[in-house]
Amino acid sequence: MERNTQEKNAIEVNHLCHSYNGRMIYEDLNFSVPQGSICGLLGKNGQGKTTLVNILMGFLKPISGTCLVLGEESHALSPRTRNRVGLLHEGHLAYEFMTIAETEQFFRGCYPDWNPDLFYNLVDRMKLPHNHKVGDMSCGQRSQVVLGVIMAQDPDLLILDDYSMGLDAGYRRLFLDVLHDFNSMGKKTIFVTSHIVQDLELLVDTMIFINQGEIMQTGLKDFMRDFKKYSFITDESSSILEDDFITGVERRGDTVTIYSFHDLREVKGHLEDIGCNGSDLKRESMSLEDGFIGLMGKY
Amino acid sequence: MIKSIMLKEWLKLKWFLYGCLLLNIGVCFKILLDIRQRLHAEHAEMVWYQAIHLHSVLYQDIRFVILATSLVLAAAQFVPEMLGRRMRIALHLPIGRNRLVTWSMLSGLLFFSFVTLADWLFVFSTIRFYFPEEVAAVVLPTMLPWYLAGVVGYCATTCILLETTRSRRVFLSIVFTIVVSIFFSGHGYSWLVPALPLLIVCIPLSLLSVYESARRFQQRGA
Repeated sequence: MERNTQEKNAIEVNHLCHSYNGRMIYEDLNFSVPQGSICGLLGKNGQGKTTLVNILMGFLKPISGTCLVLGEESHALSPRTRNRVGLLHEGHLAYEFMTIAETEQFFRGCYPDWNPDLFYNLVDRMKLPHNHKVGDMSCGQRSQVVLGVIMAQDPDLLILDDYSMGLDAGYRRLFLDVLHDFNSMGKKTIFVTSHIVQDLELLVDTMIFINQGEIMQTGLKDFMRDFKKYSFITDESSSILEDDFITGVERRGDTVTIYSFHDLREVKGHLEDIGCNGSDLKRESMSLEDGFIGLMGKY
Repeated sequence: MIKSIMLKEWLKLKWFLYGCLLLNIGVCFKILLDIRQRLHAEHAEMVWYQAIHLHSVLYQDIRFVILATSLVLAAAQFVPEMLGRRMRIALHLPIGRNRLVTWSMLSGLLFFSFVTLADWLFVFSTIRFYFPEEVAAVVLPTMLPWYLAGVVGYCATTCILLETTRSRRVFLSIVFTIVVSIFFSGHGYSWLVPALPLLIVCIPLSLLSVYESARRFQQRGA
């Protein structure tokens, strides 16, 4: 039964506990990412996002608990399982002393299922000669080489750490297109973090919000349906505080924006209860970035 | 996979290898010129007395160049891996960490050995040209501890670069400095030959310490 669950989940985190420099980051973290899904990890800076990605990538051994990647402990993945996991490191790490052709030659010898056509299909879009050094490339160009490398490996699971870092809109869209195509090949799982939250809205089907060592895992559609953004105009100077009912508050001039999992009527009633005139309260369209700010706060 | 690792190390090292080779050959050439100059400037008997009776090693200038070569090659190999935490790429390759470290180090040590071999050939030929065969025969046992010091120095540089904490780096620097200095202790031809069986033990120990540093590097945030 347990084995069956592990096979269905590309990532499985159970009772994960980790501390850094004496500061407890997670005490009992639990979540799983099913095979074939695209999961986005969202959280403000300093909430342990990078630590979690480092643990998933196998570069940090947790104090206790388990972090299984394709059924194996992430910090002790066998070479066979590593062959099935593609990693994109923050800053699009690549061997800058290599040329495009040398990069292809190097990785071709490392991965048995290497597909050179996939690599050159992505890299040749930049119209650079194959003897061009990776170190002489722009961040966007380097990201294409890295993307080419991880796609040509034909992995079953991709873990992308802030893939959008330093990329312009064009390169970001290209990434999204390639990742969509990758996921549509079936049973291919993507775990992604990005500071560009609106891009994730176009990609992920599941999200994990991480905040002060706690996580909330939800489907994108469910979140966009259940979490709501409202606004109303007020000339009152008193501020509305966040509580169990109101998850987030923003005020710009006399326009107050509030976020809640409750519906319009309930929120209106709540505003009356706390002595606030929200008679013109109306629901606004909400982007994932709005939802992120509404749920996690600005700082 | 092994071919790929060797290719990567070659790409990182080739210019440093050429540079080190040039430097080493330059110093060997200086040794040749110095011996030639001494034989012209002094009586041959005096040079013989100094070289044989006083055990003044005429080619000892090369010993610290050999050590410096190993340190440069190790730094050239592992500094690019540490910059931007690039070592993560290699650590995720579908190969065991110890095998990866072994092949990376073997590549570096192979290049280092190649340079040292060139040194030995040059020095041996020089000594053989000016001195009897018996004097040339002790070039190898005299230079061997210097080569071994280079191997320990190579491992030391690798360890220190891989370590994640400053305290460990300082500790390893002290330990390895003491170990390396043992290989340079004494004076004269084949001085350390009787102690070589013991000193050689330092080589596998130094290599093992790199595996431990690599493990710590990976499991503590790489």
